[in-house]
Amino acid sequence: MSNVIETEGLSKEYGNVYRVKDVDLLVPEGAIYGFLGPNGAGKSTTLKMVLGLAKPTAGEISVFGKRVNSKNRLENLKNVGSLIESPSYYGHLTGAENLQIFQTLRGVPKQNIDEVLKIVRLDNQKNKKVSQYSLGMKQRLGLASALLGYPKLLILDEPTNGLDPAGIQEMRELIQSLPKKFGMTVVVSSHLLSEIDQLATRVGIIREGELVYQDSLMKLHQYSQQHLAVRTMNNEVTKSFLSQNGVDWEVQDDYLIIPQMKDSMMAEISKVLGQNNIGLVRIEERKKSLEDIFLELTGTAVSL
Amino acid sequence: MRAAIRMEILKTKGRKIWLVVAVMMGVQMLWAGWAISNKDANDLVQGWLFFLYQFPMLNCIIMPVIAAVVASRLCEVEHKGQTFKLLETIVPANRIFDAKFIWGSIYMFGAALGQVAIMIGMGLMLHFGGPVPWGALGGYLFFTLAVSLTIYAFQQVVSMLFANQMVPMTLGLVGGFIGLFSMFFPQGFQKFILWSYYGVLMQVGMNWDQNTRAIDFYWTVIDWSGFVLLFVFFGLIYGIGRILFVRREV
Repeated sequence: MSNVIETEGLSKEYGNVYRVKDVDLLVPEGAIYGFLGPNGAGKSTTLKMVLGLAKPTAGEISVFGKRVNSKNRLENLKNVGSLIESPSYYGHLTGAENLQIFQTLRGVPKQNIDEVLKIVRLDNQKNKKVSQYSLGMKQRLGLASALLGYPKLLILDEPTNGLDPAGIQEMRELIQSLPKKFGMTVVVSSHLLSEIDQLATRVGIIREGELVYQDSLMKLHQYSQQHLAVRTMNNEVTKSFLSQNGVDWEVQDDYLIIPQMKDSMMAEISKVLGQNNIGLVRIEERKKSLEDIFLELTGTAVSL
Repeated sequence: MRAAIRMEILKTKGRKIWLVVAVMMGVQMLWAGWAISNKDANDLVQGWLFFLYQFPMLNCIIMPVIAAVVASRLCEVEHKGQTFKLLETIVPANRIFDAKFIWGSIYMFGAALGQVAIMIGMGLMLHFGGPVPWGALGGYLFFTLAVSLTIYAFQQVVSMLFANQMVPMTLGLVGGFIGLFSMFFPQGFQKFILWSYYGVLMQVGMNWDQNTRAIDFYWTVIDWSGFVLLFVFFGLIYGIGRILFVRREV
């Protein structure tokens, strides 16, 4: 599977502070890529650099396998639709007139306007001034603008920001339908773990400008697999015993965290510990939640 | 570029920008009517010269206001709707800048043409002396447009760079007043102030006899060096402003 977006050492420095540092983004074709991170982590800056709205301090960007530079930027972006931070619109014009502006400038067929209005379910509101739209409708209009040219890649930065639960659900369903219906690759950024969990097939987690995780959502879920926490009267001796028997361990507070194992194996361990006069005082089954993993990776309280 | 200009026209729908130009023209017409109302038949012999002297002076304040309002109205919609970040993924930023300038120039041209129409209309109605000075009126249109477009370019740059439109509006008004008061300073000084070029490029001069208290207007030689300097101003403002707009990050 080829990558639609590839960045290499992408960095952005404002003043003397790196907002984005050495980010190697890999967005595979056909994926819904969830770009997750706390507010101010560098998500929007990264996406703006991909779109050429901000100039990288260092690094390379490739879109559809072509290295992006100032000369070929717009040519490359012909197959990219975007909605960055908040929807772009002319409040004094109607929804249809707004789309007419972007349709004309994109040079795509006029019939696309009605089609995308139907996709985002705004066809009944198209002759209403956008200033009279609700925030959810404006977001949907923003999505319609991004969809106008039926791009191969859609970049949506916090598309559910400010929406009520019903609006969030509606937007989520819309986004999820796009890869299946139109074969698009979608990049969605969010600070909401639950949102990315429900949407994405692949995840990138950014913290203070650095990409701290990038893989499939499935793999991220694997991190949350159950494990055992044991506490003994002598953890030091237990550590060496575990190591000798090829059991991985890590220390967490007064506990030794070991992988989930068969009951017979655990019984064997407790038996040997007893034979060596090491009292086994606690055995607990633990499971890391996705929130715990996010917290570990970002060092920030998760937004839910 | 044609599509970009057509879309600029669509964006101004319902913005009533022509109304602003019309109101300012109305003010200028009222002023011209008032200024000429106390002239007798002898004064009206020099009616064309009088208008060609007075209109540029009034333009020092009228045209910068029109330029500031037009530029602000055209750019405000982009800031309000945060559209630059979308537009700049579709069309080059310099094309957005150029299209806006071309469409804004139409308003400035309309205002200058309106002034010429006011002069001709009032001149014919009040039977000014001599035939209509088409050449001088053409020159007036040309120089008024040249100065106005330079000022408009300045206003557009500021309006595009600042989301808060109070900044360009204030600069436009302050510039207009500076231009007006610069008339009291030597011409060498005036040439350093953009807004005073309506005066620098005037085709008519005035003699005022302190003893007889009589005013006499006369044709002057056009200050082509001033025009060249204005051209340089335009090039610098447009060029630097465009680069700043293209390079800024959205």
